[in-house]
Amino acid sequence: MTATGTITLESVTKHFPGGVVAVDDLSLEVQPGEFMVLVGPSGCGKTTALRMVAGLEPVTEGQIRINDRVVTRLPPRDRDIAMVFQNYALYAHMTVRNNMAFGLKMARMPKDEIRRRVDEAAVMLGLTELLNRKPRQLSGGQRQRVAMGRAIVREPSAFLMDEPLSNLDAKLRVEMRGEIIRVQRRIAAPTLYVTHDQTEAMTMGDRVAILRDGLLQQLGTPDQVYDRPVNAFVAGFIGSPSMNLLPAGLEADGDGCAISVGGARLAAPRLLEQRPALRGYLGKPVTLGIRPEDFGTDGDGGEIDVTVARLESLGSELVAYLAPAGMAADTLLTARLERRAALTEGSATRVNVDVERLYFFDPESGAALT
Amino acid sequence: MTSPGWRIAKLVAVLAIIVWSLGPILIGVSTSLSTQREVNAIPTRWVPHHPTLQAYHDLLGGTSNQRAGGTVTEAGTFTRSIYNSAILSAVSTSFILIFATMAAYAVGRLRFRLGGAVLALLVGTMIVPIFVVVVSLFKVLAEPPVGPSLIDTKGGLVLVFIATLTPLATWLLYTQVREMPTEPEEAALIDGCSRWKAFVRIVVPQMSSGIAAVAAIMMLSVWGEFLIPLLLTQTMNAKPVTVQITEYVGKYTTNYPILAAAGVLALIPPALLALALNKRITGMLAGSS
Amino acid sequence: MPKPWNRRGGDRTARETQILGWLFVIPSLIAVAALVLYPMAHGWWQSMNSGGFLFGEKPGYVGLRNYRDVINDPVSREAMAHTLWYVLLAVSLELVLGILVAVTLHRVFRGRGFVLAVLILPWALPSVVSGVLWKRVFDPDNGLLNSLLMQLHVINQPHVWLAAGRGPIVYITLVHVWGVLPLVSLIFLAGLQSIPDEVYSASAVDGAGPWRQFRHITLPLLRPSMAIALTVGTLLAISIFDEIYVLNGTALNTRSILIQVYNTTFAQADFAHGTALAFLLAAITAVLGALYAIALRRSTV
Repeated sequence: MTATGTITLESVTKHFPGGVVAVDDLSLEVQPGEFMVLVGPSGCGKTTALRMVAGLEPVTEGQIRINDRVVTRLPPRDRDIAMVFQNYALYAHMTVRNNMAFGLKMARMPKDEIRRRVDEAAVMLGLTELLNRKPRQLSGGQRQRVAMGRAIVREPSAFLMDEPLSNLDAKLRVEMRGEIIRVQRRIAAPTLYVTHDQTEAMTMGDRVAILRDGLLQQLGTPDQVYDRPVNAFVAGFIGSPSMNLLPAGLEADGDGCAISVGGARLAAPRLLEQRPALRGYLGKPVTLGIRPEDFGTDGDGGEIDVTVARLESLGSELVAYLAPAGMAADTLLTARLERRAALTEGSATRVNVDVERLYFFDPESGAALT
Repeated sequence: MTSPGWRIAKLVAVLAIIVWSLGPILIGVSTSLSTQREVNAIPTRWVPHHPTLQAYHDLLGGTSNQRAGGTVTEAGTFTRSIYNSAILSAVSTSFILIFATMAAYAVGRLRFRLGGAVLALLVGTMIVPIFVVVVSLFKVLAEPPVGPSLIDTKGGLVLVFIATLTPLATWLLYTQVREMPTEPEEAALIDGCSRWKAFVRIVVPQMSSGIAAVAAIMMLSVWGEFLIPLLLTQTMNAKPVTVQITEYVGKYTTNYPILAAAGVLALIPPALLALALNKRITGMLAGSS
Repeated sequence: MPKPWNRRGGDRTARETQILGWLFVIPSLIAVAALVLYPMAHGWWQSMNSGGFLFGEKPGYVGLRNYRDVINDPVSREAMAHTLWYVLLAVSLELVLGILVAVTLHRVFRGRGFVLAVLILPWALPSVVSGVLWKRVFDPDNGLLNSLLMQLHVINQPHVWLAAGRGPIVYITLVHVWGVLPLVSLIFLAGLQSIPDEVYSASAVDGAGPWRQFRHITLPLLRPSMAIALTVGTLLAISIFDEIYVLNGTALNTRSILIQVYNTTFAQADFAHGTALAFLLAAITAVLGALYAIALRRSTV
């Protein structure tokens, strides 16, 4: 199928009675065939935004277009969309076949066309033997596939998914991730996928939209939001284990500058050239961000004295929780180190970071300083 | 709690419950199979020595004064009263279910303005005991704004039952609607249904077990209604079995076999219904507490 | 870029929802308004008017005079006292027995389904039929109670159970409780089943035996159920009618308020005083209901 169709949100806002602003001036456009993930912590507005696109929630302000057709005020049935719910939302009193055929029957499609589409979708999802069963006779993974089948047969202009994998166990989740992507590529409709799991977002999305408290923080490809987070929230949200964020200070040091964090002083001669915005922060506090995988024990780079608080061996690598010298008592750095790092709990040691891979954020606004 | 002392106590308790619940019913059955003489015999005959269906004959077929020891019955009257009760139960329950399902859905799901007020109003009328209304009800039914008097008609009674029982049914269904997942209905809206279609095709089937339980409770309630039909019926046009049976209670002496036979026949339909839908009914009553 | 909308309820789907909502609610509202609210208003009006020539009075508005008459009428007062007894006795029995039954049936055991099925039978039967079934027990000539006691030589001539003294109210209450107990038991059963098992396990580890567990865990956690059972039991007992009518007719010594209303309104055709008494009771019931609702809200916070 050729990719067609877009989902456009323009300045979409949602006010709930009582003053809660669930979604604040959200604008984004899903391209033809694109898989876009809306991600963020609970309560960030992602589900509300999705439901507004579906027509299940009235829009307070703004406009929603599907395929450039304004749908903001239309009921769900007139929007030509399909949705997969977190709880599958299957029709308990109907067989799998009838569940999938329901939407087509509502559209008064001829019976043989319905049958053809349902059979095709069943093959695509491995449901052919289950067509005559009822939902209560199916496992979680099977139910999820029926939910997808129900959405696929409609051949909609837009696909919406509301945390469809949250109710599955970890192993099934990984398996279904692949299924969903595979199916989506076949259908090639623009897809808006909501999740709170940043791993899902990073592994599945063509682009990722990060929301917090109703506001869009950043919209970009997974690489973009990982390498160039636009603020401290995004930096801390994306990536697992999350980025370490610490208070630090910038001092002038000859032509360049030095970063003081805890008791350590890291020389960064070229920093001001690479990140001009930091010039305004000399002598002022900043928030320093260090990704766990950017720590090393080979002495190459700026060094920080730490005490090893705890070690977790994951087999292929080591996760170390390190208490840096000179910082507040319960500050812990998370570091991902190679197995042969040979550390022991309770011992004092030194880790090093590549100064050029550090992130800087304004301590009040959280904005990235580049 | 598994020591022998507790086990025995529990066994005794269970037996007590069974005897207490079934006892009076079994006494009624046994009395209905006795004759007046056997009933008055001393020492007590818990089970008649010569069981007979005479009482049932007399009840259903009619008697003359002497034979039945003071109670006069006419052929077919009792049967007619059972028929009335059945019609009243079935028709009232049907209407009540329709009204209550729609109202429960509207208040519990549709989140429409004043929904809370409507619910409060309905629940409020449940608390007000019916006797406040019963007297004026007579007047209202006797002289309705349109049409003839509704006193002593099955239609009038049905209307009253609908008005008095719909709030309870709505409440019971409302507690269920509130706990049902909303996603299947939303999926139906996306699949192309209007609100109405989604309600009929998806929500109502979703509610089916609750509806069945409420239906049973309503049928039992209407079948057991006494005060309202007592005041609003006069002839066999609409007289239900609950009112009819009190006519066999004599002012001075009572023909117990006939009375018991009437009682047994009157309790068979509700007993069967309660036994058949036992699980659903207990589930709903317990669940909405 | 097109101007953003700023509409609050103008959405088409929202309008559809409102219309449908009202349509769905209107049949019930009409039924209740026509046959409950309107007669209530009419009755209220009637209670404030005199009975007219039939009673040798001038017809017309008399304000609260009927209410005063009723409160001062000794027969009505006795009926109110009786009703108070009915309520107190019935509710006490129901609470105690209800908890006992619920505790007995809480854990699954073989045959539990059967016992549950048997349990609701008394509730499923019409209360008139309950009265009928129990009538033979209390018959003054050779009722079962009499013949049993005479056989055991506890008494040597038949006792008229329902005639005089404190007894009749107790016996009638017994019949009433027979029919209400299943419902109350189910309420408590639901309450028991909402207490998670872990609470008992934790307390057992802490050293509590079954009696202590009952007193310190079960009973306090059953408070909401008790409130509900109290409310339901009171409402049902306050409007007790059917059982009394079958067992003792309109005899003065067992009259409840409803029997008194029936007698006044239909036997004596005194609609004015009858409705006044009815509304008096409705007011008391409403107040009680409100008190219970407040108490319930407090206990579940």
